[in-house]
Amino acid sequence: MNTSENAQTEEPAPQADAEVDVATESLEDRRVRFERDAMVYVDQLYSAAMRMARNPSDAEDLVQEAYTKAFSAFHQYKPGTNLKAWLYRILTNTYINLYRKRQREPQQSNADQVEDWQLARAESHTSSGLRSAEAEALDHLPDSDVKSALQSIPEEFRLAVYFADVEGFAYKEISDIMNTPIGTVMSRLHRGRKMLRDLLADYAIERGILKPTAEGSIETEKAP
Amino acid sequence: MSDCQSLGDCDDARVTRIYEYLDGALSRDDLAEIKGHLDTCTDCSTEYDLECVIRSVVKRSCAEAAPANLKAAILDRLHNGRPAEV
Repeated sequence: MNTSENAQTEEPAPQADAEVDVATESLEDRRVRFERDAMVYVDQLYSAAMRMARNPSDAEDLVQEAYTKAFSAFHQYKPGTNLKAWLYRILTNTYINLYRKRQREPQQSNADQVEDWQLARAESHTSSGLRSAEAEALDHLPDSDVKSALQSIPEEFRLAVYFADVEGFAYKEISDIMNTPIGTVMSRLHRGRKMLRDLLADYAIERGILKPTAEGSIETEKAP
Repeated sequence: MSDCQSLGDCDDARVTRIYEYLDGALSRDDLAEIKGHLDTCTDCSTEYDLECVIRSVVKRSCAEAAPANLKAAILDRLHNGRPAEV
């Protein structure tokens, strides 16, 4: 029993599918079932793919490839279990195997530098000096700033944050999707969220919604 | 830096508890305890509010509709049996 009253969005369990016998199902029946159950996640998977591939064309390819693989493996999916998480896992693996390999040489060294720099910042900003008015300020950031901030967080942190905050996946589900222990998921979330928060505050400062104090912590503009 | 130590003896521990609360990762008892604490502690509820805002901002910003032709392209591949590339 999930005791949370907060956030875990439950997908409606496809009850009828618990009855499907995947071993004897015809290819055509499987395709119909796949189209009915899996195709509803195209927009969500595309949004996630945009956080991975970073441009619309690659994101489209990635989602197409993930769906093709998912259909090929659909007989291995256990009806009644979490289809959305299963699809996200395939999407993530497809990304790692296909796209990241392709991007590895030009991007690796940059990614390392970004990570070192951001971790250093995250460590130096552990205080919770942000106030409600600052929450207000961050709430007014344009989507483009939020996306850039998210995009500049190292990948494994970014995806963990995305899966938890946007998709509402539980730690265990993220651990399955990313194929990492739950403890790793939690530490990625912790650090990723800190980085994101610092970056968002930076954007808010640049836009003049927040101003840094002399000590380098953050202070809000006075309300008009 | 917060002086509140109810949720943990350092800021990291405190934030982790708030994340777990937001992430729906707590037992019923822990949940009630933290909810009670957030009702009375300004420091922690400010922190909590901020995390909620960040979450909603990220969610809002990342919602993208797939291009109109993507669904059709996927279905086309499924029906024409083009194998996965890898």
